[in-house]
Amino acid sequence: MSLSDVPFAHFLPYNHNHYFPDYHDLSAANSIYQDPTFHSPAPVLSHGGSSHFSASVKNRSAAKSSFNMNTLSTEEMERFQKLSNEFEPDVQGPLVSTKQSTQAIAMDYANADPTLATKTSTLALTHPTSRIMKGDGNCGWRAVAFGYFENLFALRDLVLIQNELVRIKSLSSLLDQVGHQDYLYEIFVDATEQVFTQLIQAIQDGVRDDSFLVDTFNVEYSSNAILTHFRLLTGAWMKLNPQRYQAFVPMPLNQYCATRIETVKSEIDEVGLQALIDGVIERSGFAVEILYLDRSRGDAVTPHLLTTNQASIETIRLLYRPGHYDLLYRPEPTVNMEPVVNYQYAMTSNYSPWDQGALSFDVNPTLMSIPNLMMDPAFAMGAPPMSPAPISPPAPSSPYRVSSPQEVYQAQIPTSPPPPPVQMPSPPAPRMSAPPPSGPPPPMSSLPNRSSDGPQIRLNPLVMKPNLSHSLPITTPFKNSPYNQAHFQNQDFEPIHWEPSDSRK
Amino acid sequence: MGSQKRIAKELAELVESPPEGIKVELANEADLYDWRVYLNGPENSPFHNGTFLVKLKFPNEYPFKPPAVNFATKIYHPNVTNDEKGSMCLGMLRPDEWKPSSRVVAVLQFARQLLAEPMPDDAVEGRIAEQYKNDRARYEEVARDWTRRYANEKA
Repeated sequence: MSLSDVPFAHFLPYNHNHYFPDYHDLSAANSIYQDPTFHSPAPVLSHGGSSHFSASVKNRSAAKSSFNMNTLSTEEMERFQKLSNEFEPDVQGPLVSTKQSTQAIAMDYANADPTLATKTSTLALTHPTSRIMKGDGNCGWRAVAFGYFENLFALRDLVLIQNELVRIKSLSSLLDQVGHQDYLYEIFVDATEQVFTQLIQAIQDGVRDDSFLVDTFNVEYSSNAILTHFRLLTGAWMKLNPQRYQAFVPMPLNQYCATRIETVKSEIDEVGLQALIDGVIERSGFAVEILYLDRSRGDAVTPHLLTTNQASIETIRLLYRPGHYDLLYRPEPTVNMEPVVNYQYAMTSNYSPWDQGALSFDVNPTLMSIPNLMMDPAFAMGAPPMSPAPISPPAPSSPYRVSSPQEVYQAQIPTSPPPPPVQMPSPPAPRMSAPPPSGPPPPMSSLPNRSSDGPQIRLNPLVMKPNLSHSLPITTPFKNSPYNQAHFQNQDFEPIHWEPSDSRK
Repeated sequence: MGSQKRIAKELAELVESPPEGIKVELANEADLYDWRVYLNGPENSPFHNGTFLVKLKFPNEYPFKPPAVNFATKIYHPNVTNDEKGSMCLGMLRPDEWKPSSRVVAVLQFARQLLAEPMPDDAVEGRIAEQYKNDRARYEEVARDWTRRYANEKA
């Protein structure tokens, strides 16, 4: 994809800094797929073709190149031509991967430019899982199409799915309007309809695992057919709305659609993506958000919403690295299945059991990285109100509640004891059991000494990760603390009023 | 598979209303993916009065990959390889320019049109392309001669 030949590029907020000066477009994909041969022929023969792949090594670019071709014999030239015509990059991996940890992406950039390293490690916190699309020229199309069906499945709303099936099929009228014949496109519509049928069947059967959808998108024929359907709809939509798109494409719209949209493997560009969202996706009620990973300033990827619908029912989130699209997922809202709510968990409202893959609290990396922030009473007062969750009061006989073994975090390596709190670079969270109810709340500045029989420190898995130790989540103050706002919810609550006369008593 | 359904419909369309100068049949009744096409040389070309047998092979990935076009009849043309394969691969027939929504009839019309108007800049036979550009009369003479000698296919 060549952004540079899109004249309007600088008008769009997501277009700045779209090329890494010292990384080839596909270096990211390259490192993922561990294929050093991937783009070796491209820098020699590519002259800004519309695609990284076969288009970039076509006849014309070779003929017009500045090489002195006269020194080559006709036979040699023909041989090279044949090689270049038949060149296909050896891209590894499935068309759509299973959900994986975004840490894998962060690892790819660990030794890259510091901005990219920072942004990807932040991304791994805000969007802990991702799906990698195969970089075969269809990644953007595939990410959107897969994200669309995946969200439909996740919502499990049969009425919505039926409505969407009807809506998508009715879009065939766009195809008719621009002169496609139904016997040419019906097999593509059939493939899409088949996915809808699969969704309905799976939901009716109570299937929760979405691997059937991943499988369908990894079958070459179905994948191609669905994407061709979406491509044709997008092209037709653009041709029927020239006033919206013509100014943004560097050639007549018909030619643009014929060479960039309706082909088999040409990559999606911004205009095409916007048209796909406008024409095919947006009416579903889904929002589409792109998170741009580039070297612009800041320590997080730059989000950009492609849809106008404010109150969307679901959001398809794309990760864009120049020349490549993947899918991203926010932390999944996990249901706390533990029958006994740990006192501390209850205090901290809806924390689910610690799990590297499911951090259900809002990890704000910026705030988390400020030491002592959560100790600051001013911040604590601004924190969301405590959940009035059923709290089992601590047994008065014992000042400390002893956690059951399964509630205590077990270190991954049994032989090594959990690191002592003093090793933590940031102040440890005051995750102790509540003090005796009768006693005054201990001031923050004078925490009880940690002795061997002292209160339990609950270690979470993130503590074990050296990279993340600076972002150790910190709980809000405990129940009897003056900073606890839970008592505001008691209707009998009355704040203590200080009277000048009181001091004389 | 969808490709079979689609090829069958395209074949039916071509047999029902054949375009000018083009006749299509299956090489083997049992195989939808292997066609024999008889092209009549266009009037305003040195191939006029010749009938050329063209083999059209659909890949399993059709329509996501283009059909392969091969001249079984020897032809003197800058865009057709002068070997036993007689392959023609340019324009809409190239995988990166191919559109799954293209019709086979368009492919065949494109091939026939190419007989009337060669594309010497995209030639596979450099020598014939040179001659076409620099010595059109000689090119037409040889092409006409080859047409007389070889292009006598009976549909």
